[in-house]
Amino acid sequence: MRLPRISDVQMDLLAARLSAAGVGRRDFLRVAAGLATLGAAGFNARPVSAAPKLAAGEKLAREQHFRYGGGGWWQNDPSSHDFNKDLYCNGVPALWAGLMKFNAEFQPVPYVAEKVSSNAEGSVWTFNIRKDSKWSDGSPCSARDFEWSWKRQMDPASKNPYSSYFYDIKGAEAFNKSKVPDASQVGVRAKDEWTLEVTLEGPRGYFPVLSAYLAALPAHRAAVEKYGDKWTEASNIVCNGAFVLEAWEHNKAMVLRKNKHFFGAKDVTLEKVTIPIVPVQSGALPYENNELDMTSLQTGDLKRLRDDPRSGKQVFRYPFPGTWYLTPQVTKPPFDNVKVRRAVAHAIDRDNVVRVADGFAVPAHAMIPPGFPGAIDDKKIRDIQRFDPKAAMAELKGTPFEGGRNWPKITLTMREEGYGSKPLAEAVQSVLLEHLNMKTELEVLEQRVFRAGLWKNDYQFVWIRWFMDYPDPHNEYFDTFYGKKTEGKRQAWVNDAFDKELETGRDTRDAKKRMANYAKAEEIMQTDVGYIPVAWVARWAATKPHVRGLEKNKLGENVVEGNIYFDMLPHLYIIDRA
Amino acid sequence: MAGGAVIILLCLVAIFADVLMPLPYTKPNFGRLNEAPTRAYPLGTDQLGRDMLSRMIYGARVSMLVGLLSQVIIVAIGVPIGAVSGYLGGRADLVITRFIDVMYAFPRLLFVILVMSMLGAGLFNIFIAIGLTGWVGIARQTRAQVLAIKQKEYVEGARALGSRAGRLLFRHVLPNALTPIVVAVTFGIPEAIFTEAALSFIGVGINPPIPSWGQMVGEGQQYIRSYWHLCVFPSIAIAVTMLAFTFFGDGVRDALDPKMK
Repeated sequence: MRLPRISDVQMDLLAARLSAAGVGRRDFLRVAAGLATLGAAGFNARPVSAAPKLAAGEKLAREQHFRYGGGGWWQNDPSSHDFNKDLYCNGVPALWAGLMKFNAEFQPVPYVAEKVSSNAEGSVWTFNIRKDSKWSDGSPCSARDFEWSWKRQMDPASKNPYSSYFYDIKGAEAFNKSKVPDASQVGVRAKDEWTLEVTLEGPRGYFPVLSAYLAALPAHRAAVEKYGDKWTEASNIVCNGAFVLEAWEHNKAMVLRKNKHFFGAKDVTLEKVTIPIVPVQSGALPYENNELDMTSLQTGDLKRLRDDPRSGKQVFRYPFPGTWYLTPQVTKPPFDNVKVRRAVAHAIDRDNVVRVADGFAVPAHAMIPPGFPGAIDDKKIRDIQRFDPKAAMAELKGTPFEGGRNWPKITLTMREEGYGSKPLAEAVQSVLLEHLNMKTELEVLEQRVFRAGLWKNDYQFVWIRWFMDYPDPHNEYFDTFYGKKTEGKRQAWVNDAFDKELETGRDTRDAKKRMANYAKAEEIMQTDVGYIPVAWVARWAATKPHVRGLEKNKLGENVVEGNIYFDMLPHLYIIDRA
Repeated sequence: MAGGAVIILLCLVAIFADVLMPLPYTKPNFGRLNEAPTRAYPLGTDQLGRDMLSRMIYGARVSMLVGLLSQVIIVAIGVPIGAVSGYLGGRADLVITRFIDVMYAFPRLLFVILVMSMLGAGLFNIFIAIGLTGWVGIARQTRAQVLAIKQKEYVEGARALGSRAGRLLFRHVLPNALTPIVVAVTFGIPEAIFTEAALSFIGVGINPPIPSWGQMVGEGQQYIRSYWHLCVFPSIAIAVTMLAFTFFGDGVRDALDPKMK
């Protein structure tokens, strides 16, 4: 497992800062170890490397106007830009700046907070906020604003559908479930104008990750109180990010302008951003007609654009952390027999299966894709469910299905979805037929119907994916497979040893130890075949050559805006097309 | 007659699909995905590298099964209801006719989709869904015929000779009402085939890996700018089949309907 390195200079800086805040050397080492995995790429709000780097003969275009969308990006009008109220509002994250943000490695780094520190066990976190943090109307955006925003999110009266996001905060759940009358017991407190102290239910090593996510973005109190649900309309909104919302013609387009009050404004090059609302069916046409400077690609367009000599260079893959996997329901025959489950796991010819996705999937051997915290590149784990048709058939020896005979009727269930998901499921069917003589019928259900049956653990065999919400193994394992989950549980499989690893991982502050817990959990789950990882999601986009400044991660991939990283626009610049 | 020839050909293809398929319709070739037509794959390969020709041939069986079996259900429901309604007349007729009117008021495709979403996808459920929603037209036609025929002298005569209702209906009335029913059935077949295609197109029809033309068009249409053959061939198959049945239906009507001569 690779951990991001933290430079010695930064370590010293951190040590100095921590000791100034009264943290001793021993505690410092613990905090540093935690921050090392969670990411400490820099303590500036914006790394210096982001400034435009012009090659000889290039110069910045006079008009810094960037247009992007299409191919699935902003195919629907956002319901609002109020992430603080609804993290899936589908708005523009670049309007906001959180206490922390994710860098191109998807690690949390300080943003509005200039310093983030915790007590030794990681149960109390302190965010020191930049004194130049301002709202777009020029007024200060302080610790009190964040306190109010986070409490608004937990307030039962605001009816936030995702308020359980902050249940790690002390008293949040009781307040949210109306067990206490007011928010005074909730562990979020502005100690002064520029210091926010957050007390948690216990040690939570991953809290910086939570604080960098969309759900932790602030809201402007005066605007909310004055305009209610309409406060994020272009005429009403007050925001604190790199851009402001200049115009929002519903179902047509959004226009952003650079926010001159943003604390990092001097490093933002783009002056104007246009985001049209384009249905996914238009495919790459708007981009090919030069109506967009950047677009997402769907399966139908990728090959054509890539094969074309001119547009081929404009196409690139971008990280979109997600995993396709199979759930054999352990309560339903024939999957109640672990040997059958192992046989299925060995029969999945992942290299071939992913080919049908036309570039939109890569073979997976674990839950977390490469390049993300908790990714496992270990031969031992790779081997547990390796593709091996002989081993697959051998597993069936002694079962009623020896030799691939006597299979009952097996239905593979999935939800309606694009990005090549159905061809992938059909490829899974065909390799099971080929290597185990297992005939399956594929049932494609509408989203809502699918989810209802899924949570009842009704399906015999499920083709499903998980898109990472935030880059911490807690999200991949706990939010999906934890056996004691009371709602939203995707499978009947339960394993106490597995659950125990997750609990330890959740409560451990030491990053290295936590990752060992999650690796152990993965091993337990794969050995018992609680799930069968098949493919990691790949997504593609295209951008015109005059657009520069896209950040790259350490794998060398361009990173575009998504629901984790939303720091793309402040980095971009346009060069002269001449 | 050209229509008839195409239909006979389709029936033969459907019956002998297992023999005619050059490759099993489930056999993938992951090395040759989305290939345009070649000598090895005359109609190209689909997204899983399966032979399009084999899938089209098996798809013919699905289409013909749906076309014919759903008409059996439609006739089995529609004709008795129409006949009873027309023959009994009076209050029973009124109740049945109103019920038919109500059923008729539902938009057909929406109703089929509704039934399918209740039953779940699958070949057998498609028969049921199309049958349950398609009988009203035939019932109406049968009723109209029976109403007219039961007044005829030979029926009166049979009744005077003491025939009971069942014998009257099945020996004297229905055989003479058959012509328009046969015509309606020939036109009903392509409609059923098209309904199946539409259902599979939107993904509530046949479950993979069984191929259906509609499903092939549905899956192929998003790739039309990159892999044209995925949706063009099954579209042609649907179009030709529809046309053949329509011509055939016209021919049957011309041959059987005395008023057309």
